[in-house]
Amino acid sequence: MEGNIEALKSAIAVMGYGLAAIGPGIGIGIVVGNAVQAMARQPETAGMVRTTMFLGIAFTEALALIGFVLFFLA
Amino acid sequence: MGQVVLAIECDPAQPAACAPASTNELFETPTVFSIGGFGVNRAMLLMVLAALVVIAVLLVAYRRPRLVPTKFGTAVESVVGYVHDEIAIGVIGPDGARYFPYLLSLFLFILVCNLFGITPLINFPVTSRMAIPFFLALVTWFIFVIMGLVRNGFGYLKGIVWPSSVPLALRPLVGLIDFFSTFLLRPLTLAVRLFANMVAGHMLLSVLLVGGLIFIAEFDVKSVLGILWFALGIPIFAFEIFVAVLQAYIFTLLAAVYVQLSLHPEH
Repeated sequence: MEGNIEALKSAIAVMGYGLAAIGPGIGIGIVVGNAVQAMARQPETAGMVRTTMFLGIAFTEALALIGFVLFFLA
Repeated sequence: MGQVVLAIECDPAQPAACAPASTNELFETPTVFSIGGFGVNRAMLLMVLAALVVIAVLLVAYRRPRLVPTKFGTAVESVVGYVHDEIAIGVIGPDGARYFPYLLSLFLFILVCNLFGITPLINFPVTSRMAIPFFLALVTWFIFVIMGLVRNGFGYLKGIVWPSSVPLALRPLVGLIDFFSTFLLRPLTLAVRLFANMVAGHMLLSVLLVGGLIFIAEFDVKSVLGILWFALGIPIFAFEIFVAVLQAYIFTLLAAVYVQLSLHPEH
C-alpha cells in the first residue's frame, strides 16, 4: 500500500511537470517565431531583437522551471 | 535514473551499477576535509577552483597589454568586450560601466562553474547546487533594490506598489502583483533558471553516458541498447556546452535588466 502511494505520487509529479511544460513550450515557440520574423524583415536590428528574444524566452521558461522544481519537491 | 540502472542486477562488487537511492545522490559531494566542524566538500573546492580559473584567464590575457594581442588575448577580449558593450552599456545605458566589473565576474564565474559539468574528470556543474545560484541571485537582488532606493528614493517603492500609469481601480491589484514579482519572483526565478538547467543537464548526461557505459559493460544484448544510448549522449554533451554558455549569458543579461529597471522604473 505504502509503495503504491509512493509510485502514484511520482507518477502524478511526472504528469504535473508535463502539464507545466505545455504552456511555456507554446510560448517560447511564439517568442522565437516572431523574433525570427522580425530579424528577417529588418536584419539590421537582429542584435537588439536577439537580446529581447532571450529575455522573453527567459521569462516564459521560468514557468516550466518552477514545474521542474515542484517535480523534485513532490 | 534509478529505474534505468535498476534494469540490471545490482552487483556489490561494481558499485556504479547499483542504483542510487534517489537522484539527490548525484548531487551530493563527499566532505574532503573539515576545519573545526566546518566540512569542506568537493563542490566548495570546485567553486574556489572556478574563481581561480577566472582570475588566471584574465591575468594571462591582460597582465601585459600588447599592441598586437595574442590569439588567447583576442578571444578573452572579445568576451569581455561583449559583456561590456552589449550587456553593461547596451542594457543599462551610459551609466552601465559602473556595473561592468560585477557583471563580468558574474558571467565568467557562472560560465566556468557551468562548464565544469562537461569537463572530463570533474563532471560536476557547481551551479547545480541551489546554494550557489541562489547566493548570486541574492547579491543581484541587493544590488538592484539598493540602487533603486538610492537613485529614486522612496519613489522606487511607490512606483512598484502604486503604479501611476495604471487606472486607479486597478492599482492595488497591479501593485500587489508587481510587488511579488519584483521582490520575490525575480530573485527566485533567476536562481531557479540556472539551477534547474544545470540539474537537468547533469541528470541527462548521467543517465545517457553512465547508463550507456554500464549497459555496454554487460556484454550481451543490452550492449546494443547501451551503444545507442551512449551515441545519443554525445550530441546531448555538445548541447550542454551550448546550455552552459547560454545560461551564464541569460543570468548576466537578466541581472543587468533588473538593475536597469530599478534605475529607470518609468520605462
